[in-house]
Amino acid sequence: MIKAGQIEKGMALLIKGAPFIVVEREFVNPGKGSAFVRAKLKSPSTGQVLRETMKTQDTVEDITVDDRDSQYLYNDGENYHFMHTVTFDQFEIPMSSFENYQYLMKDGETYRITFWGDIPLDIIIPYKVVYEVAEAQDAIKGDTVTGATKVIVTETGLKVKVPIFIKQGERILVNTETGEYLERVNR
Amino acid sequence: MNKKSILQRSRLYAKTRTHFTGKGYLEVETPALADGLIPEPAIHVFETSFTSPFHPSSLCWLTPSPEVFMKQLLAEGSGNIFQISKCFRNSEQIGAYHNPEFSMLEWYTVDADYRDSIAHTEEYISAVAPSGTPEHLLPPFRIESMHNLCFSHAGIDLDKLQTLGKLRDASVRLGISESDTPDTWESLFNRIFLTFVEPEIPQDHPLVITDYPAQIHCLASNKATSPYKERWELYAGGIELANCYTEEINPDRVEEFFREESAALAARFDVPNAPIPDSPHDYHLLFCNQEKPFPPCSGTALGLDRLLMLLGGYDTIEGVILFPISARL
Repeated sequence: MIKAGQIEKGMALLIKGAPFIVVEREFVNPGKGSAFVRAKLKSPSTGQVLRETMKTQDTVEDITVDDRDSQYLYNDGENYHFMHTVTFDQFEIPMSSFENYQYLMKDGETYRITFWGDIPLDIIIPYKVVYEVAEAQDAIKGDTVTGATKVIVTETGLKVKVPIFIKQGERILVNTETGEYLERVNR
Repeated sequence: MNKKSILQRSRLYAKTRTHFTGKGYLEVETPALADGLIPEPAIHVFETSFTSPFHPSSLCWLTPSPEVFMKQLLAEGSGNIFQISKCFRNSEQIGAYHNPEFSMLEWYTVDADYRDSIAHTEEYISAVAPSGTPEHLLPPFRIESMHNLCFSHAGIDLDKLQTLGKLRDASVRLGISESDTPDTWESLFNRIFLTFVEPEIPQDHPLVITDYPAQIHCLASNKATSPYKERWELYAGGIELANCYTEEINPDRVEEFFREESAALAARFDVPNAPIPDSPHDYHLLFCNQEKPFPPCSGTALGLDRLLMLLGGYDTIEGVILFPISARL
């Protein structure tokens, strides 16, 4: 058990018997009110999102989790399929719980998966990832507007707004939380 | 160190002074060190002590707002006053929007109520916003009552939920979890507001939330024949920026407030060993002087670091505070 004031992003908590991952956590002091902890929690099995505002001194049940390196194999439209890199055990995670992760994960790449016992709770994607530009229209000649952008598609299908000079086949660094282009990566 | 923010702060303060003095307000300076504060159980304070070889030592506290002193000036007949002051709040989160030492603009307008203060605040923001300030930070403000916002976003009718039992029933329906310590009406209301309403407030223009529940105790006057207070809070960019009252000037109600809140302060337990400041028990006498009646007035307090952050396009107040405490602890 921990105090609500100790909750941190990424932590796993047991809420009414079900595991939830903390996706957002902030302290709030409403005008003329005492401090509360506001958290956004997500159920990995159902994708259900829960908002909780607790007193900082309230207790919550934290659960012990461990991270296991697992290779992302493919998705079948309903589930992401992974294989544990040590035991070669295969498991699946519902796509509805991690929407749009198919555009962030690369087939065959290894990701850290947070487990609670045998239940996978969270897929950890690095904050910054290099993607290859699979589809990009050529810049229109004469378009010299500073800061002009276009939308490209990465090899994973992620659509990213990039500066106009980015070409097909080039590699770019992307913030996976916001989906924003960060920089071009030189070969 | 952000040199640009030093310049921006200097300009903001200069414009603030020009604006208020131009409208006939008197700039005042009151102590940051007080021997007694308005009892506010939700606020934690910094405690220190006066020591001297010639006097007995005594406890004193850094002011969490200049209200306790500015009202004494109003009682003396100061007329309209404003102040830019350092304020101190302990035990709050440190980070994006909080620093334990911060700058506050507080002003009082006599013969005005909280509605008048909305217009005054719009004028102030217009006067100090640099050209190019994005529209979502500029007047006209949106104005919504707390009742309507709760109805729209949480589906509850506050008018009908004025008892703890009824509010608790509503909170169970909304899925608010049970707390380890019994919720008061105020804490339950705050949990509903923070869960369902505050995250959804529109950000296309600054929003004034009016008519806070009277069950959240404060020194705002009651709104006639309603369970609400003449109080508003201003949100800009989704951030709480200012708080305003039609000030309570009825001495009996002020005395009652001091008595009840002092007791609540003494019973507070959320932070172990937190200092409990003294409160001036005769404060209500300020409002009893027959010869010099306390003027009806409205007071507004606005966080200058947050305003500077918003107007300067910074993500956190740490960008505008030199030596923020988060960088030192």
